[in-house]
This record gives sequence, C-alpha cells and structure tokens, in this order.
Amino acid sequence: MTGKREAVSILAVLFVLTSCGGSQGGGGGTTAATVAIVPGGPHPYFEPMRSAIADAATDFKLTKGSFEVPTDWKQDLQNQLLTSLASKGYNGFGIFPTDGDAANGIVSQLVSRGDPVVAVGGCVHEPTKTSFCLATDVGASAYTAAKTVIQAMGGKGVLLHGTGLLTDPNTQLRDQAVKKAVGEAGSSVTLITLADIDKDAQTADTAINQALAAHKDINGIVTTAYNPTVAAAKALRTLGDKRIKMVGIDDDPITLAAVKDGFLVGSMGQNPYGQAYIGAYALDQMHRGCKKKSGAPYFIDSGTLLISADKTTTYQNDFKTLTKQIAGDFKAKYLSC
Amino acid sequence: MIAIWRRMSGVALGLLIVDLAGALLLTVVTPSFTSTYNLFITGRDFSILLLVALAQMIVLAVGQMNLSIGAIGGLVAIVESGLMVSYDTPVVIALALGLVLGTACGAVNGLLIHWTKVNSFILTLGTSYVFAGVNLGITHATPFYHVPGVVASFGQARIGAFPHVAIVTIVLTVALAVFLRQTVLGRQLLAVGGNQVAAALSGLPVRRVIVTAHGISGFFGAVAGTLLMAQLGEGQPTIGVTWILPSFAGPIIGGAALSGGSAPLLGTVFAMVLVSLISDGLILVNANPYWVQFLVGALILGGVLLGRVRAVGVRDVFRLKSTPPPVTDRPAEEPVPRRPAEQK
Repeated sequence: MTGKREAVSILAVLFVLTSCGGSQGGGGGTTAATVAIVPGGPHPYFEPMRSAIADAATDFKLTKGSFEVPTDWKQDLQNQLLTSLASKGYNGFGIFPTDGDAANGIVSQLVSRGDPVVAVGGCVHEPTKTSFCLATDVGASAYTAAKTVIQAMGGKGVLLHGTGLLTDPNTQLRDQAVKKAVGEAGSSVTLITLADIDKDAQTADTAINQALAAHKDINGIVTTAYNPTVAAAKALRTLGDKRIKMVGIDDDPITLAAVKDGFLVGSMGQNPYGQAYIGAYALDQMHRGCKKKSGAPYFIDSGTLLISADKTTTYQNDFKTLTKQIAGDFKAKYLSC
Repeated sequence: MIAIWRRMSGVALGLLIVDLAGALLLTVVTPSFTSTYNLFITGRDFSILLLVALAQMIVLAVGQMNLSIGAIGGLVAIVESGLMVSYDTPVVIALALGLVLGTACGAVNGLLIHWTKVNSFILTLGTSYVFAGVNLGITHATPFYHVPGVVASFGQARIGAFPHVAIVTIVLTVALAVFLRQTVLGRQLLAVGGNQVAAALSGLPVRRVIVTAHGISGFFGAVAGTLLMAQLGEGQPTIGVTWILPSFAGPIIGGAALSGGSAPLLGTVFAMVLVSLISDGLILVNANPYWVQFLVGALILGGVLLGRVRAVGVRDVFRLKSTPPPVTDRPAEEPVPRRPAEQK
C-alpha cells in the first residue's frame, strides 16, 4: 500500500514538473532574460553594442548580457555560435544576420525552443520568425546622403557610390536609394557604383583610389559602408582635394576628423548602441511573457542623422536621447504584456 | 636581360605576352590607365599582393600549402601597430618584433606539419583560425589608429608612379630568386618538393627544409601585412582576410605544380601583374558591380588556360589527341621495390 502511495506521489510530482517545466529553451517566465548580441562578423560598426548590452544588463536587470562575435562573415559560423550560446543557457538573441535569407534557419530553431530573437543593425528577410528588426532605415539614410552630396555638387557631375557586401541585406536598399536620388537629379548626374568593396580595408582603399584615378571628372562621393568611407576620407585628405564633395557613413575617428577638417560634407551616423540596447530590452520583455502587439511593425527605425562639422562632438548625446525615448515607448507601442 | 629571357619558362613568356596585350588594351580603351596616380595605386597594390603570392609559392614548392598567410599578415600588422600605438615602442623594434613573429608563425606551421604528419591544408586552416582569433581577441575588431607618421608616410610615398613600398618587394623578390637558385638550402627545397621520399633517402634534411619554407612564407606574409598597415596608416584587423585568392592565383597561374618541386618566380610575378590588371581594368571600364566577381574568376581562368596553351599546346590542354599508354621499362612481373622502412 505504501509502495502504491509512493508511486502515485512520484507520478504526481513528475506531472507537475513536466506541466510547469516549459519548453527546452526555457522560454517565458518571470525571470530576467540571458541575452546575447551576435553580429554577423567582426566589424568596428558593432563595437558600441558591447557597451550597450552591458548598460542594458544593468538598467534592465538582465540575468546576463553578452556580446559575442563570430570569427568570420559566414552564416554557418554565426549559426554555430548561436547554437553554442543556446546550449549554454542564453534565451534571448539579438542578431545581425550574416545572410538575410539564410539566417531564417537558425532563427526558426531558436524560436521553436521558446527563445525570442530580434534583428539588430540589419534585418532578417521576411517572412521570418524574428520578432522585430531594430535598424537604421538604410534606404532613407542613403537617400539623404546622396541628396546632400548632389546638392553640394551643384546638382551636376559624376557621383561615385562605394557600398558594401552584396550579401548584406542592406546593400540593395542603399543601392536603390542612391539610384533614386540620382534619378531625381535627371541626366545631369552620372552614377558610378563600386559594390562589394567593404570586405576589408585593402579592397576598399584600392578600389576607391583606382576609381578616383580612372574618373577624373568625379566631383561627388557617397559611401554607404564603413571601409569605403574610411578609404575615401583618407584618399581625399591625401589628395588634399576639397573640390570633391562627399558624405560617408558611421563615425570612425578618421571619418570624423575628415568631416571636422572639411574634406567631407558629413557622415550619416547610425545608432548601433541604441539597436543593441533597445533590442535587449525587447528580448527581456518577451522572455518575461510579453507578446508582439497585433499590428506592430517588424521594422523599427533606430535613428540616423547627418554628422556635419558642427555636430562631431554632440551627435552621441543626440543618439542616447533618442535611444532612451524609443526604449521608453517600446512596451506601450509594440508589446502586449 | 637576355639571360632572363632565355631562362623564362613557356608559362612566364605566355603571361608576359598576355600582360603586355592587356596593358595595351587598357591604354587604348581608357587613357586614364596610364595616369601617374592610377599606375601608383595599381603598383602599390601589386607590390603587396606579389609578396602574398610568393609566400604561397615557396610552400607550394615543397608540395604543401599555407592557408594562414592572410591571418599571419593580419596578426603581425596588429601586433606592430599595437606596440607602436599603445606601448610607444620604437618603430624599428616594433617592426622587427612583428617580422620575427610572422616568421615564427610560419615555422610553427612547418614544425606542426612535420611532427603531426597532418595535411598542410588542414593544419594551416586550423592555425589560420588561431592567428585570426588572437587578432580578434586583441583588437575586438577595432583598428589601432594613428601609427607613427614615418610608417604611414612610407606607405603613401612615391616617386612619380613608383611606390616606395615596391622597393621592399623588389629586394625580397630578388633575394628569393638568389636563395632558390644559388643556395644549397634553396635547391634542397625544390628537391624535397619534387620527391620527399627520394630526398629523405638521399640524406637531405627534410624537416629543416619544410620548416624553412614555411618560415619564409610566414616572413613574406608578415612583410605584406606590415606594408599594408603602412599603406592604410592604421592597424586594421581585416588586413589579410582577402589574400587567399591572390595567394594561390599568382603561383598557380604562374605555373607552380600543387605536387611541389617547382618555384616559378617569374611566372608568379607576371601572373600577379595579370591579376592587378584585371582588378584595375574592371574599375576603369566601370564594370557592373554585381558581375565583378564572375568576371575576375573568368579572367583568371582564362589566364590559366592561356598559360597552359602557351606551355603545352592547345591539343594537350584539351586532350584532343589520344594519350599513349605509359612507357615503362619494368616487366609486369617484376616485384615493386620496397621502401627501406619496409625491408626486413
């Protein structure tokens, strides 16, 4: 009799445990999330995300926040890293997809474990199980940059566009935006595009300089990727050429110095800090049980602004203010808790 | 000059003709090809990539590969710039330490290959991740800015179209040619590459030769990384990440055999001229960016085929004539000679 009671008790405990145990990944619950921010590969653009996740871990009392970089820009390496992190107990992931389409495989795996995923910096292509994409509106940013340069060129001449990896989900949006701005200028502006030159500094440096050597009539440059921007900023400084008007992207010290010294009209600042910070907040809230509000958008603009010579020392404060604002409104606007 | 012409292999001669034709074509199609600035930029890029190709050629000569040249170049550039920028190490000491590190990385490759007998492809693939991982661990993907002016200005300096960095490349290329042709170790290197078992049976120091080849490869990779760091004016963690294609394209187009035993130095030089012409030409003619990778690949394949046609003729390249059965003096029933280790 006693044996039967013990057996029933054990079965009851097992039933309760299996009912309440949740999914494999431990998704959902009242505990804080363990969040990993995983870029597509090594790149200085992502460096502010390191401090962002540390700040988010403190501000939102995450169980843990970590910034993990794959050794190379390959989707399978990012997949391996994410799988490894999931097995170590991470249960919220902010990723920059190495390949906008192929990343959907690993996203589906993580979400099926019950772990929410958001895209930070660049979007996973839809349809996707990624909840949100917190990124720069790259199309709008590239369009603003191209329009600014064309205006500085006096609305005519030859515009060089240096852009990034062809597999980067943002490259085509940037390419289309620059073409749109050039199209609006009519036949008075000729466009030369150098794509896929953001692999490394050497590729960008050689390509930009060869283009400047080959096309002496270039009087405008718009760059929509990090390495081409730094390469072009250095080239214009080396040539001492302020005749060519340029707007770059990001805030590398070389780029900012060139803006300050008048070699660049400006640079389109992005908000990688805000992308990771807000992303971590969203992941934590979803881990605690919040759901994406019906009708909430997939893409959320993390902000962009033209860093001109007078803003080189103040733009970071502007981004921090914007970040706090987006994070403050996030729950009410996009989540149902 | 006449001696060089006579020594030139069929492949090298074919490539030289292709290079001249390509340069002529680019001059006609786009006159800016011959502008001083364009020649300077192309020459500067060529000077660095030739060192990368020679780093691979020397390892191919012993019948092995080195997939870690780019990682070594990147690591050396980071260590040198880090020492100069973060620790105020004098330029000469920082550069010397970097070059010693690069040579040591190469020598470690050679020693590991010799001790473990693991295929060089796999082993150097592994060490490339180790070297790149150290690079990433040091930098967190963020460059070391503001390398000393003397280094950065050397990377940018030129006389007319002639880049100063080319002086280093010319000196090292000539030194490598002398080493391969005039020194005992250089000749042993080719002998080991031709037939490692025969070389060992002849009493050649196989381990020393392999370690030397990898050490030289590491040194050339380190110099390439140093020059690129000087050219960029900063220690960029991405230095070397795109070197795998030029490292193999140069020697393979130039006539090197993957099985070892040959070090076609002139062929490699002319092949790298072709690679530089292709990449420059595609920008000069404003090629569609989405087709550039295809065009580079197709043109390199075309260069390889032209080189082979020049060397062995059209019929052999495309196997248009029937291959005669292998000639052997040995009767069919003669036993295969045993290697010494197998003899009792």
